[in-house]
Amino acid sequence: MAKQSLSFALEARAAAQLDDYVVDLAWSPDGKQLALAGGEGKVALAEVGEKLSIATLGEHMLGTLALAWQPHARRFATAGQDGSVALWDAAAARQLKRWKPGVGATQALAWSPIGDALATASGKSVTLWSADGDRIHAFAPAASTAVGLAFDRPGTDLGVALNGELAVHRIEKARYETRRYKWPAACLTVNFSGNGRFLASGMADGTLHFWNRSSGKDSQMRGYECKVQLVGWSDNSKYLASCTGNDLVLWDFSGKGPEGQKPLVLSGHTDRVDAFAWQSGGEHLLSGGRDWRLVLWRPGRAREPIDVQMTDGEISAMRWSPDGKRVAVGEKQGRVSLFEVVVR
Amino acid sequence: MSVTPSRVPVTVLTGFLGSGKTTLLNRILSEKHGKRIAVIENEFGEVGVDSELVIGAEEELFETNNGCICCTVRGDLIRILGQLMKRRDRFDYILIETTGMADPGPVAQTFFLDDELKNTFQLDAIVTMVDAKHFEQHVDELNEPAEQVAFADLVLLNKTDLVDEAALARIESRIRGINGTARILRTKNADAPIDRVLNVGAFDLNRALAVDEAFLEPEYPFEWGGVYQLGEGDYLLKTAGEHDHHAHEHEHEHHHDHEHEEGHSHEDLEIVLLPLTDATPTELQSAIEAAVRAFAEPATVVNCHGDIAGPGHYAIDISHPGADFTLGIAKAGAYALFCEHHPGEFGLTLQGQRPKAERRFASHHHEDDISSIGISDPRPLDPTKLNQWLDYLLKTRGQDIFRMKGVLNVKGEDRRQVFHGVHMMFDAQAERPWGTSPRINQLVFIGRGLDRAELEAGFESAVAK
Repeated sequence: MAKQSLSFALEARAAAQLDDYVVDLAWSPDGKQLALAGGEGKVALAEVGEKLSIATLGEHMLGTLALAWQPHARRFATAGQDGSVALWDAAAARQLKRWKPGVGATQALAWSPIGDALATASGKSVTLWSADGDRIHAFAPAASTAVGLAFDRPGTDLGVALNGELAVHRIEKARYETRRYKWPAACLTVNFSGNGRFLASGMADGTLHFWNRSSGKDSQMRGYECKVQLVGWSDNSKYLASCTGNDLVLWDFSGKGPEGQKPLVLSGHTDRVDAFAWQSGGEHLLSGGRDWRLVLWRPGRAREPIDVQMTDGEISAMRWSPDGKRVAVGEKQGRVSLFEVVVR
Repeated sequence: MSVTPSRVPVTVLTGFLGSGKTTLLNRILSEKHGKRIAVIENEFGEVGVDSELVIGAEEELFETNNGCICCTVRGDLIRILGQLMKRRDRFDYILIETTGMADPGPVAQTFFLDDELKNTFQLDAIVTMVDAKHFEQHVDELNEPAEQVAFADLVLLNKTDLVDEAALARIESRIRGINGTARILRTKNADAPIDRVLNVGAFDLNRALAVDEAFLEPEYPFEWGGVYQLGEGDYLLKTAGEHDHHAHEHEHEHHHDHEHEEGHSHEDLEIVLLPLTDATPTELQSAIEAAVRAFAEPATVVNCHGDIAGPGHYAIDISHPGADFTLGIAKAGAYALFCEHHPGEFGLTLQGQRPKAERRFASHHHEDDISSIGISDPRPLDPTKLNQWLDYLLKTRGQDIFRMKGVLNVKGEDRRQVFHGVHMMFDAQAERPWGTSPRINQLVFIGRGLDRAELEAGFESAVAK
């Protein structure tokens, strides 16, 4: 008897309109709400049920740049070109606090994994705040603007993407020692692998760089046709995904690692890929782009898409729900839609 | 599936502190022109009234490649322009104001290097404001003013009401020396017509290369030539200002008393007077060669109040304002006068006479280490050798070459090949056919410490054999 293999597919569930370009979305930990950030500055909250209903909570003048939901809480934070950081109460649908951490636009936000600290990057200053927005620690100003922030999975380290280096601050026990991973080009992203072994960065010089955290040894991956802005580790730390033009480029970190190996190139789009997301707790990868296509992949099993859905416009952002069963997709024209992964 | 709308023109406004950038911005924003303009300022502004948007920016420099300055871009501009792309309201123009000390290079390079921006925005022109009152002082003391002029497509020579005509002529000549291709517009209170500042199309390869013809000529030892119809008799050649005998003598004594002090400079202006058959532009043109030869001969030194006895090469002492010389004409007829510097710089006039025809020649001041070099040559170029030369040039001298532009006559090509670049960044394309117009290469390099012989040898290596 032939073995029946499971087949996954995407099914559209609900959709609604945000009156703004969808820059990013963030799920609440319980998967019942979605926070939305708009390119013209809108901050909105969507209730996720049979339908999606969106309510605008406020704005960041000249554009929202970052959005992050507080782990284990009913709060999220936003930051914008206006320089401010805002804390929002998702239960009461209102702003709790708003402040300016420094001079310049606030480009990046990151919550510690247990949700007790919020890191912000405003211009050259990186600051650590309590969950209520009280200052815990201000790091010495960097030599350049900080454009990316990320905590590692245990929450002991905070990585900062800078021009010419990734700075990794030890947060644990408030020692704030800094280790620097240098490379002579602008780092655009900072990505810790979930297993803690690697640190990666998409660079402005059209390369992807990674460092072995224990040995400090670094490797560079070339062949990108443009700057590398989208980078993400699979949940199991096996793949490091990135984009070049219409394709997804995946580096396999299992076994001996990606050095000297050719990457896995996933071609399923007919125009530029502008967003992708790894499934929370799973092995699926979803990508979307200017071709209006939402493509579902399972890289370990197949190089071909396992499902393709058309949306109503160019896709700008997507996020998996915490349980890894649904995905929220944002479009440039403001449409927000929900899909569910189903087994056929 | 995606539609490519026309790209939004971006004007970069540079200029030293106090040169009048803010005044110009305010004029542009307050005038009724029916255009939607987004302004990116170097300070934090607020949303402007009506149709304008004012955004504050802080210079964020990012390297895109291995620490190379030619690959440095402005991260703040990438982010802010990226945000503008997300808005549903479209802007007709974007104006970027840089700080007085900012290097315009990274701003311009951002539009060549960032693949998203270059699809949406078109660098229109780099406009540099120059404060007529302080430019000469600043350019001697600092690097930035000359660099800003070197990058410019348009120089607004502002505050012209605060200095005299001689100073303006001197400054313009200095600007020409640094940048042989920028247009210069004189303004008083930054009162430049908006359509001369916005949508200039300086980086548009489809528009003709606007290079001062004189600039592409070989170097002459003179900047000006004029032709006069003179009768027999004496004429007074005089610089502007009043000659003060007391001051003259006093200074003289003063000089003796303090020998170690630097004396006032003894400034000579070299001139050549030549007889012509006719007082016409054609005759003036045909006298150029004779004038070049005459300038190569030793000059007769003429002190203040001295005599210029007919045709010849003279070095007249114009150290004092109101210096005068007597020009004796023995035989009535047409005469050409060639001057080492433009006579406007000193207010030099031949009293009672106006030139029947006059011409400026390329200014080749080399007092600044930043200068322009032009090459004009009709011979067709070999495309492979041309690429080899330009590749090599940009690799070895890209950091020193601020701007580069040209029209090329490439062998086997029916169309003009046009190009322009900022440092190592480079755009080139085929333009309209040559048709019946004469084929000629015109190249201009603006940069620091440029070597004409090196550039000419490089060009020579690219000529098709």
